[in-house]
Amino acid sequence: MIRARGDMPRSRAMAGAVTLAVRLPRLSREGAQAVGGALAALVLWELAARGLAGSYLLAGPVDVARYLQANSGLMGRALAITLENAALGFVAGNLAAVALALVVVLIPRSQPVVAGFALVVFCLPLVATGPILRVLYGPGPGPQITLAALAVYYTTFIPLMVGLRAAPASWFDLMRVYGRGAWTAFVQVRVMAALPYLLAGLQIAAPAAFLGAMVGEFTGAERGMGVLALRAMRGLDVEATWALATVAAVVAMLAYGALGWVARALAPARPEVLLAPPPATALSGRAGRALRGAGVAALTLVLMLALWWGVMEAFGLSRFFAKRPDDLWAFLVSAPTAAENRAILWEASAQTLTYVLPGYLAGLGLGAVLAMVLVLAPGLAGAVLPVAVALRSVPIVTTAPLIVLALGRGAAGTITIVAVMIFFPALVACLQGLRQAPGQVLDVMATYGAGRLTRLIHARLPAMLPAFFAAARMSVPAAVLAVTVAEWLATGTGLGNLMALTASTSNYNLLWSAVVLVALGSAAGYALVGAVERRVLARVAPEQLR
Amino acid sequence: MADQRAGRGPAITCAALAKTFGTGPAAVEAVAPLDLTFAAGELTALVGPSGCGKSTVLRMVAGLEAPSAGTVTLDGAAPADLQGEGALAMAFQDASLLPWRSVRGNVALALKLARKPVDLAAVDAMIARVGLAGFENARPAELSGGMRQRAAIARCLVTQPRVLLLDEPFGAVDELTRARLNTDLPALWQAQGTTALLVTHSVREAVALADRVVVFSSRPAQVVADLRVPDLLALDSAEGRTLMAEVTAALSQGWADDPGSGRHAAQ
Repeated sequence: MIRARGDMPRSRAMAGAVTLAVRLPRLSREGAQAVGGALAALVLWELAARGLAGSYLLAGPVDVARYLQANSGLMGRALAITLENAALGFVAGNLAAVALALVVVLIPRSQPVVAGFALVVFCLPLVATGPILRVLYGPGPGPQITLAALAVYYTTFIPLMVGLRAAPASWFDLMRVYGRGAWTAFVQVRVMAALPYLLAGLQIAAPAAFLGAMVGEFTGAERGMGVLALRAMRGLDVEATWALATVAAVVAMLAYGALGWVARALAPARPEVLLAPPPATALSGRAGRALRGAGVAALTLVLMLALWWGVMEAFGLSRFFAKRPDDLWAFLVSAPTAAENRAILWEASAQTLTYVLPGYLAGLGLGAVLAMVLVLAPGLAGAVLPVAVALRSVPIVTTAPLIVLALGRGAAGTITIVAVMIFFPALVACLQGLRQAPGQVLDVMATYGAGRLTRLIHARLPAMLPAFFAAARMSVPAAVLAVTVAEWLATGTGLGNLMALTASTSNYNLLWSAVVLVALGSAAGYALVGAVERRVLARVAPEQLR
Repeated sequence: MADQRAGRGPAITCAALAKTFGTGPAAVEAVAPLDLTFAAGELTALVGPSGCGKSTVLRMVAGLEAPSAGTVTLDGAAPADLQGEGALAMAFQDASLLPWRSVRGNVALALKLARKPVDLAAVDAMIARVGLAGFENARPAELSGGMRQRAAIARCLVTQPRVLLLDEPFGAVDELTRARLNTDLPALWQAQGTTALLVTHSVREAVALADRVVVFSSRPAQVVADLRVPDLLALDSAEGRTLMAEVTAALSQGWADDPGSGRHAAQ
């Protein structure tokens, strides 16, 4: 959800001179808080490692540094390979995102179908697309690059689509008054207005590309960080696992920070981007609108099936591993063993649900609660927020092994992995939302001597809800990704394990069925959260639904 | 050369001009069939209650909105023809400056859009004439509301338009700044002999700036009064007060059908 550019603060010009004097000390205080937060995290980490010494759970910063020094050549080469794949995927995925956004802006009617299609493709489980791509591409960097591209395009597509439309109508009127058409408006207004949105999307995309490349390397690559991570985890090499996680986390944070710096330099006026599409306008009420919604969904489905089938046919891919929609229909519906096949899928789905639901709810709830605590204790926020923003960019594939080391291969570990994956984005989004409370409303409350808690409940919480729901929707695919990765790497149950198992046993019918199930399930979960969002926002923030 | 024609604004003729938004039961008639002529080189103020359709009239003259019925002609030409010549300029309720361009960049953009040579000396001269000298490189976000509106006026005037359309350009500006703008700016377009239309809520502003005041009823817009403003009228004179009272009375008459709407415009 994106708030259109509102009135810029009017007093900026007058404040300009004052800001110069005030900004420097304030910035350095914020910087000091951030450094303090990071140092505190490092010290806690080292203390925890020393406290748990001998339990084979935790390697502290000192151990990690020692390991990295000893294996610098190996790590450097692996990092270079993974970075290269991630960069190629980053470029390809973002180009695809730009192309999709252009289609939607040039042909507005195509939006529901294109956006639905983009969402379902984004919901494809990396765990399964990895092995399938491995078979399709054979050896080489193809799957890594493709997975990196798949991991980034949605988070660029959505803000870019919104940004291309974010300009107020009078800017377009201005172009038309001088007799200029859509092309001039596109160049002079849309592109420039969308730039901050694009940059915000790219910033999120940079760590995601690294994650995609690493997952791609899990699926039988020969070199790269992913290969080392898998090897370290299988061998219970605590120091290597922590060293790899540290390097991946640092790379992700640096990429996130560097793109943030570029964004600030290129487009100083950043939008409040929550990186989620606005909630779809309600289809309830009139039967005609509901019918149109169903029509759009059906059209999206048909187009996707056609595209799936067309791509497979166009490349002449063997039906043995490149299943078509009719293969799955036979497998799940018309074959004699169909009932048995469906039972396997349902059982795995039920297992997955028992992990993903508690993890999703816990992560979301904890994120929202901590955000509120931080608003009540603003001093703490300065130290925690930079760390949270940094940790948000840490790929799940690096944290998953650590949590497995700490909590074991049972339900607790898996649920925690899901919760951690959701927690940081939810926290950051909720904090942003809480800060969007209108200053005038807060001022009114202050004049009545309302305390922080009253202001939180009556002014900040309503302002937080849109951000919270945006995070809740975007967290659905993220939770599914986390749970399938965790099941695959750790628990040996659920859909994640089923997909890994069927990939290695070449049971491609079951694998493709699981992929379709996961993608459709994620998309349905996303739609469900969107429906709840519409009902709640209609009551507390109707202006958000316009 | 465009410059030679710049001195002469066209007469604007609205013939049976009407606008209905939407269709069927949800249709809203914004402008009832309207016959009006605005004389060449004059500034006419259009006043009326909020939402009465006066901005819609302006947008149809600008060619931004297609009439549902009737025509707008400017010396016989369609709005689109003047658009293409870069002979139109419009100021919007919000300044609508592009935030990524400096004041100079925003003003120069109008020349570029109007396909006229971008003469930066002329751009800076126009910025100075609206009182923004020294702010050429400032971004819109660094300006106050009144300064932004002045930059928007400079953007309108730099192309030496033959038709100037002002859609409540000072609506969001405080009273003091507004009074300053009202005394400073008219000289700029009067010198060019531009035909200008000003949509405003303020009776005082209308009488102070315009050669003629047209008062509209509440929606759909129909003319309830058409008053001439004598040259060099002092607002504080008895004559000036009488004229403002007349405009106000006509406005109240326009509201009679629809009590409660637009009362805040009474000042």
